[in-house]
Amino acid sequence: MKTITVSHVSKTFGKTKAVRDVSFDVEKGRIFGLLGPNGAGKTTTIRMINYIIPQDEGEIIINGEKVSPKTQKMIGYMPEERGLYKKMKVGEQLMYLAQLKGLKASDAREKIKYWLNRFNAYDWHSKTVGELSKGMSQKIQFIATIVHDPGIYIFDEPFSGLDPINSELLKEIIIELKGSGKTILFSTHRMEQVEQMCDDICLFNNGKVVLTGNLRQIKKDFGKNTVLIEFQGDGSFLDSLEEVRINNRSTNFAEIRILNGLDSQEILRRAMEHSEIHKFQLVEPSLNEIFISTVGEDNIKNQELLK
Amino acid sequence: MNWKQVYLVLKREYITRVRSKGFIWATILVPVGFVAFFAVMVFVTVWESGETFEIGVKDETGQIAEPLRGLNEERYVDYSEVSTDSLRTLVQENVITGYIIFTEENITEDKNLELIYTGSGGIQLLTSIRSDVREVIRQERLRRAEVSEEIQKIYDATIGLDSRRLTREGEETDDETFFLSIVGMILGLIIFAAIFSYGGYVTRGVIEEKTNRIIEVIASSVKPIELLTGKMAGVGALAITQFGIWMVTFFGLTAIAGPVAATLMEQQTAGMDADLEAAQADLPAFLDLPALEPSLIFYFIVFFILGYLLYSSLFAAIGSAADSDTDVQQLMLPVGSPIFIAYIIMLHTWQSPDSTLSVVSSIIPFFSPILMVTRIAITDVPFWQIWLSILLMILAFAGTMWLSAKIYKVGILSYGKTASFKDIAKWIRQ
Repeated sequence: MKTITVSHVSKTFGKTKAVRDVSFDVEKGRIFGLLGPNGAGKTTTIRMINYIIPQDEGEIIINGEKVSPKTQKMIGYMPEERGLYKKMKVGEQLMYLAQLKGLKASDAREKIKYWLNRFNAYDWHSKTVGELSKGMSQKIQFIATIVHDPGIYIFDEPFSGLDPINSELLKEIIIELKGSGKTILFSTHRMEQVEQMCDDICLFNNGKVVLTGNLRQIKKDFGKNTVLIEFQGDGSFLDSLEEVRINNRSTNFAEIRILNGLDSQEILRRAMEHSEIHKFQLVEPSLNEIFISTVGEDNIKNQELLK
Repeated sequence: MNWKQVYLVLKREYITRVRSKGFIWATILVPVGFVAFFAVMVFVTVWESGETFEIGVKDETGQIAEPLRGLNEERYVDYSEVSTDSLRTLVQENVITGYIIFTEENITEDKNLELIYTGSGGIQLLTSIRSDVREVIRQERLRRAEVSEEIQKIYDATIGLDSRRLTREGEETDDETFFLSIVGMILGLIIFAAIFSYGGYVTRGVIEEKTNRIIEVIASSVKPIELLTGKMAGVGALAITQFGIWMVTFFGLTAIAGPVAATLMEQQTAGMDADLEAAQADLPAFLDLPALEPSLIFYFIVFFILGYLLYSSLFAAIGSAADSDTDVQQLMLPVGSPIFIAYIIMLHTWQSPDSTLSVVSSIIPFFSPILMVTRIAITDVPFWQIWLSILLMILAFAGTMWLSAKIYKVGILSYGKTASFKDIAKWIRQ
């Protein structure tokens, strides 16, 4: 069942075409990753799904309805630029945000209590956000996002700026939400997070979708044509290899993508001539590699941000 | 527009503000400040400089020095025996401030007198000397003309002008123009200050949500127009609360001030002479200021609310376009200028409320809140002018709100830099 359907959506700001003819589907009960470099159009797309800005063209359907104030209430959204009212008390603030999402005061009070207890944060109920540490206010931000118990959760770059403890906590929350049948969409420019968590992905570049589908399937389709090699000794043989792309190179490790039918055994043979091999493994390409080979190295905007 | 959302925003704006220490202190301190401001103004106006400026009088006629000293003994000193050169030296050495030489021609002909002085004392001194010498020379001329006492009296007479208002209904009332002019000016001043301070609340509120980065969370639940409306209404409700408190306090105090003062005096005079008692019985009359007309209070509230709405919609737009508190100033100019211009015109209007300038500018929507209230307080403004200005303000408000909603919608989600007027124009066209 499709929870979010984005079809042929475009958005232009002045002369900038931020989003161009974007289409993808988010299935119910799955974690969907929106990835791509900064400025690829992820946040704009997310804002349109949240009905914060209108699309110029195309259609966005959420649970069978066009985006509207009504669909807003079906979503819990944590934007990349996030914050809270500094001078407002935690409890009142959560109550306000929950009521804006359509919760009745009595229900909201119960849910707020539950979540504050769950995060060992009930003592903060009557403190203002300005009095809290950064980590604490991040937890309050999570609660603000999920307190109205929606069916869909959207996180825009959720891990940026989080401390390690809260990063882990958020991962747990996301996995737990998925376990209870909720749909999650998050965007990131960090590929390894996607590999760990996502069921489905959509790759963005320059405002366009370059690849979308099930993560396992996509990887399978690319084939086991990537070599992970760990060695001791002279690594200069790597430079002499042709028809390959080397990612993640360090003094004793390399991830090598074979491009044109070069035999992986040939790489192993050459490596053995120069160094001692500790590990040699044939694997599916990393998401980063998939992204690069789909888009083409020269067409990636903000390349340095891709890791 | 979902009014439930607007109400939630309004409630938050109102409650968080009304509970803040800033609001409580402002409610207490502003009236104190206002009274202090007027006290200082009155004090400055009636202040008589204690300094004496000594003016040497070299009287060649022998008739002037004496009466002049009679007018102000400390100022005018008879230097008739001293030579002009010595007088000059005295002025140069600052022993005396200046000197005047009176000759026969000054009395017999209309020859101007000449004051040679150091330059200190300012306009006040010059004006006072001028009137003194005019007076003595006139007296001397009258004396020489040997006019009868009766004619002298005629010259001494100063006839006052009492004024009474005759209304359209044929009712004659005491004229309180002077009092009402002061009231008109104060009301105009209050609206001027109120628009700026409550408008400022709105601007800062909008910027706060941007800098706190909570705006996007809010925008995922509320339409920008709902947020904008709720915010303006919330601060508006705050303004009404604050003014309500002040008005109740003011009218309460004036209502009890008379009786209380009277009681206090009774107690004090209990053991005193009957004469004194009679004299002091007049005192409460001083506290018994003419009552303000209910219609004036009604119009004050109407124009205050409309003025607030008109300007706060623009102040909100400014806030959304700015990236931080410090960047607001550059955007404030075009919005703030009409209020300042209205204020400057008001300084003319309170003295001349029916001039063409006053009438025309009081109907211009951006000036009305200040000028129309000032005029209504002082003069009998025709109904059509009042309601035309109200109508125009409502229309203007519809326009500014439309404009502001367009700017606000884009502005709240633009981080990083303060928008230029070019950017804002682009947002409006979008």
